[in-house]
Amino acid sequence: MPVNSRFVDELRAIVGSDALVLSPEGRLAYECDMHTLYKGQPDVVVLPSRVDEVQRIVRLCRRERVPIVPRGSGTGLAGGAMAPTGGVMVAMNRMNRVLEIDIPNRCAVVEPGLINLWLTREVAARGYFFAPDPSSQMVSSIGGNVSTNAGGPHCLKYGITTNHVLGLTIVGSSGEPLTLGGKVWDRPGYDLTGVAVGSEGTFGLVTSITVRLTHTPEGVKTILALFATIDAASEAVSAIIAAGIVPAALEMLDDVVIRAIEAGVGAGYPGDAGAVLLIELDGPRAEVEMEAERAVALSRARGALSVRVARDEAERALLWKGRKEAAGAIGRIAPSFLLQDAVVPRSKLPQIMREMQAISARHRVLFANVFHAGDGNLHPLICYDDRDPDELHRAKAANEELLRACIDMGGSVTGEHGVGVDKAQHLGLQYADADLNFMYRLRRVIDPEGLMNPGKLLPSHPACGEGFRARRPVLPEGAWV
Amino acid sequence: MAVSVRSLEKAFASLVGRERVVDDPVKLGGATIDGCVPRFIVRPAAVDELSGIVALACEERLAVIPRGSGSALELGAPPSRLDVVIDLRDLDRVLEYNPDDLTASVEAGVTLGALAKLLSDRRQFAALDPPGGTSRSLGGITATNAVGPLACRYGAMRDRLLGVRFVQADGVVTWGGAKVVKSVTGYDIPKLMVGALGTLGVLAELTLRLHPMPEHEASWLASCDTLDAAGTLVAAILESTLQPNRVEIVSRGALEALRLGAAVAAVAVSIASVEPAVAAQEESLRSLVRANGGTLNPASPGWWDRYGDVVMSSRVTIRIGTLPSEVARTVGAVERLLGPAVAVVGSAATGTLHALLSECQVQAMASAVGELRAMLAPFGGHATITRGPRALREAIDPWGPTDPGALALMRGLKDEFDPHRVLNPGRFVGGL
Repeated sequence: MPVNSRFVDELRAIVGSDALVLSPEGRLAYECDMHTLYKGQPDVVVLPSRVDEVQRIVRLCRRERVPIVPRGSGTGLAGGAMAPTGGVMVAMNRMNRVLEIDIPNRCAVVEPGLINLWLTREVAARGYFFAPDPSSQMVSSIGGNVSTNAGGPHCLKYGITTNHVLGLTIVGSSGEPLTLGGKVWDRPGYDLTGVAVGSEGTFGLVTSITVRLTHTPEGVKTILALFATIDAASEAVSAIIAAGIVPAALEMLDDVVIRAIEAGVGAGYPGDAGAVLLIELDGPRAEVEMEAERAVALSRARGALSVRVARDEAERALLWKGRKEAAGAIGRIAPSFLLQDAVVPRSKLPQIMREMQAISARHRVLFANVFHAGDGNLHPLICYDDRDPDELHRAKAANEELLRACIDMGGSVTGEHGVGVDKAQHLGLQYADADLNFMYRLRRVIDPEGLMNPGKLLPSHPACGEGFRARRPVLPEGAWV
Repeated sequence: MAVSVRSLEKAFASLVGRERVVDDPVKLGGATIDGCVPRFIVRPAAVDELSGIVALACEERLAVIPRGSGSALELGAPPSRLDVVIDLRDLDRVLEYNPDDLTASVEAGVTLGALAKLLSDRRQFAALDPPGGTSRSLGGITATNAVGPLACRYGAMRDRLLGVRFVQADGVVTWGGAKVVKSVTGYDIPKLMVGALGTLGVLAELTLRLHPMPEHEASWLASCDTLDAAGTLVAAILESTLQPNRVEIVSRGALEALRLGAAVAAVAVSIASVEPAVAAQEESLRSLVRANGGTLNPASPGWWDRYGDVVMSSRVTIRIGTLPSEVARTVGAVERLLGPAVAVVGSAATGTLHALLSECQVQAMASAVGELRAMLAPFGGHATITRGPRALREAIDPWGPTDPGALALMRGLKDEFDPHRVLNPGRFVGGL
């Protein structure tokens, strides 16, 4: 049944009128996430406040075979929280409570709509923080972070979202809440929590999350090193890692981004700098002191033009300023950009940067780079003018070519943004048919009717369809009797 | 089409070579698992060979048990049937080691010790230290989710496994994850394989995230007069800004097994960093211990090896998951339920404890485990018999109860990926 007035009446009976968005203008705000190239309006947006409402919404949609698209703050970068085939969008923003803070066990239980940074604010005074720190953390929801398995600058040392999720409650397509994991580690059985994190809503609607809280480190040091070239900066990165130092963050900006920042807000970068390397160390004070000295010496030995160490919190904020302004600054040099987040092995950074220059020249598009150098997670912004269809076409071709280059170097299609609709067709670069088929069957077990966020995460591909049979090993001949 | 025993032997031999198929009754008898004697032991030396073996087993509806070093063959319920033991110890190549990327790809039969030896030249390590340590295979550590004291700082295999190649029950070779430290492309399949006891696929290759080995490490033993004092000390350490890499609780019985005298309980701590940072943290640790009425002494050399040996030398091991805040109370409950002979060790930081006994009276122990589970259940704790005689694991479900909703999903996965119950049949949670 389509979403008609009777269906809407039933939804209204569940959540009340003030929790429905029906008007075309209202739904417009929900037609895309931050990847604005992909648009699809839901037929109706519903904002539940309680688990039982979520259950009844799912049961209704299941009965009427209406697709469900979950949404948090809508800050995703892969076209995950939009409705390509319409249906019901379930926005979790009203379920944003902290349900429990358990300091002795260093964990918290929260609802999915809670904003990432709010949790850290809640526990900071007691000496803790929530480690996953996507750049969107001031606005993105923890449910969204779970859905995309979000990363961030400090994931180099602390790990990504999945390393900080102990348990989930999920309302699956059956409408029944499922309790996975919990405060106690390693419950026997398959690690379904681990599979659900990063499943982009295909597992169901997450209604509560048990997260790990991390101790605020005793000391922090932030270092900014300027280099003439990306190659030189990359060598410094390798030297720091080879010295056994795992910084909390290791971020790099290229010359295009540096010039864009200086043309705008300005962060005091000299004009001849070809690369900025931001190094942050944290941990026990004595360890941070010694590692900072070493990181400074290693940067100088690799030809740093200048090295600055922040002396206090204000200086630290200043050093981070350029990094945080980067994406905004690009707006000054190009009206639009494609953003991707492929990964290469860290040691391949100089190689992929050279490859990127070649791709940029071939397709006549500008790349601007700001990335997590420590884990090889690129974030090229591929600039184009959206008034020129040919430029968009060239930008897409360059994007495609760069993805292939990253995979050829042993990398990954997406390091932290997720697949959504944007990268679904690229999964075949990283996975063989048998691998895709395994994921497809996994999804079918979780959601047999395919109601949960259809069209996302997995491609439409022969290996993701009924009737596909992976090639099996050839058994020996002549053994049969 | 059915195959006779004779031709099965030929078929396996044509896949891996005659010398890699064992059908000698004496040798097969030595490979008995829980009283089940296999009809064949097959030792593949390459992933393709492993794939062929599993495909053949599936075609013939044979039951397969994959094994690595063989240290966890009593984990789980007794197998419902057994035809082929696949011995993975010849899948022992390190395929890639990229020190600059802090990653390594290994075949599943590579032992932790062999990998450690390779990595130590570059002062890196896998940061895994399950009981039985160096002789265990990385595939086995993954399949059983074996965990040791270092999980306090570094997490466990689920935090280490970046990519995995496995052979599905029908023989199809499948890859999940990536070879880089960060990837969210598609479902996180490596997570599904950790702790799954090879019931969804036989592990063939693993890509691991590595860590730099700290320059300096020191270990101490803080002796306490009461279990409660040990619990308070643990809480104080975990609340402090110390960055220990191990915080273990050691019960009276464990101290006796280690011949460490008369304390009621102890807390074993190690701190690793650059030397000045270890020295500074030692001072903080010393004052914490003093404030909590304990006595701090440096641990003797080789302490952590002996500690692991104690876990491996027991006849019965129960792995307990409890809350860090409930660690002392849990140790107390175990001592009360299992008697003075029990030794309990484990991570106070993660709440993973091991209760160890050198003897087993089946009925008494089964009811004690039941009571222990009842005590742990209100806060989501659990107790799994990870080693013990078959009779014990028949008298009580070694895995304990599982949430029915989650179990239904697990059963759905098993039905999808191993409908004929070829892989480790009957051993896993819920009889899967």
